[in-house]
Amino acid sequence: MPSTTRNWIFRHTINARICHWIMVVSFFYLLYSGIMIFLHFPELYWGKVGFQGYPAIFRLEDWGISWERAEELGDRRWGRNYHYLFAWVFVINGMIYLIWNGWQKKFYQKMLPTREQLSIRNLKSEFARHLQLKAAKGESDASYNILQKVSYLFVLFALFPFMIISGFAQMPAFTAISPELIDLFGGRQTARTLHVICSLLLVVFVFVHLVEMIIAGAVNQLRSMFIGKYEIHSENAEESL
Amino acid sequence: MSTKKTLQNINEIKLTRRQLMSGSGALGGFLLTGCDTQFYKPPIIREGFMGVADVMTMASQRMLLSNQQLVQEHDASEITKNFPVWNQSNPDDEEYQRLRAGNYADWRLSITGLVNNPISLSLEDLKRMPRRTQTTMHICEQGWSAIAQWTGAPLMSVIEAAGGVTTEAKYIMIDAYGGWYEGYDMFDAVHPQTILAYGMNGKDIPLGNGAPVRLRVERHCGYKQLKFIKSIQVVSSVEDFGRGTGGLNSDFGFHWYAGA
Repeated sequence: MPSTTRNWIFRHTINARICHWIMVVSFFYLLYSGIMIFLHFPELYWGKVGFQGYPAIFRLEDWGISWERAEELGDRRWGRNYHYLFAWVFVINGMIYLIWNGWQKKFYQKMLPTREQLSIRNLKSEFARHLQLKAAKGESDASYNILQKVSYLFVLFALFPFMIISGFAQMPAFTAISPELIDLFGGRQTARTLHVICSLLLVVFVFVHLVEMIIAGAVNQLRSMFIGKYEIHSENAEESL
Repeated sequence: MSTKKTLQNINEIKLTRRQLMSGSGALGGFLLTGCDTQFYKPPIIREGFMGVADVMTMASQRMLLSNQQLVQEHDASEITKNFPVWNQSNPDDEEYQRLRAGNYADWRLSITGLVNNPISLSLEDLKRMPRRTQTTMHICEQGWSAIAQWTGAPLMSVIEAAGGVTTEAKYIMIDAYGGWYEGYDMFDAVHPQTILAYGMNGKDIPLGNGAPVRLRVERHCGYKQLKFIKSIQVVSSVEDFGRGTGGLNSDFGFHWYAGA
């Protein structure tokens, strides 16, 4: 059996940790309040117009939950109030995160894929490792792997902005502030539908994120998100950092 | 934003200068303060973080709306067939039913409170006033949207007909048959697309959509588009109405500002 040594690296800055947990709380509230709002109108449409009786592209009714039952389950007054409150928390937290990190070289080193990581050989082996549900070991675990980097960047710079913009496109004030934005989506109902789809993508991300955390070692991962230090497991002392 | 530009914009959108400026210096005054921070917050700010979020939402949107831009108007071909009838569809109110039986001939809209010359208008009076027709999207906070063409008298003209507002005037409280009421600030009152609508898609407004007159305040969610209008009061404080939050919806715990 190879000998095991304990190596610690400093993985998460204080700012990343604080922003991460604020984001976790606000994401939870946004999702839950979003569901509460949705249950009071459990249909989705495409285009500018949509209402009860108009051809829908999704009806909760078709999935065994009647309109009346959905209304009982939902609470849009609570939902609306908390959706807006935590939207602000989310946006301000996100801006603090970006401003705090944006001028730090370390941030780009941590988040951007390296040339080596983008090589076909590395992509192949990372895909294979993820499909086998194996944790990274040794040197390669000292930084985010390529799939991790790409998914974090996608969430931070594609899905999050999309949620915000598709939220704006549903607001009546934006029919005056920027009707072009609503047109860009192809209409108010399309924006609403895409807002829901994008939120489901985020739920998928959170699910995979949690599964990966467990595979990689939940204690070590969670601990690092609280105290910053992350333990690198190496199978072999000579190969360790 | 400069004052001059505000006036120019509003002139461009064809509300006549006379309507804006005549009669009351006070209404002109509201235009001059289009970016005033008094329009950044609801009349009553809720407690705690919820109130902070309310003000941030309203202030940020009002800043973006400070040019009093018009909302998008749609082509007549986009008008929705079967526009939904939502919420109150026929007020359970004796007086309303009597007026309805008489085809609203006896309906009177009183404009009282902090106006220089309180008046009472019949439906015919209202129809003789300057009119505006707009094809806009109705956006319900619950999620639905539909397009209709509305014809009515700008709220501004109606208030002008009452001699304009006095300097203490801050909010416009509108009462509806069936117990609903809502409050609006001057920022919305002076918007050219804020109309007291009596026509929908070229006909009189049908019963379920708020006959004989409903408000269109286009930059807000559906729950601000008060139906079955009964009377208008210009006030300096909303506290004497309902639970004192400035509208029935906010009394119920929804946002007073419904730009969303």
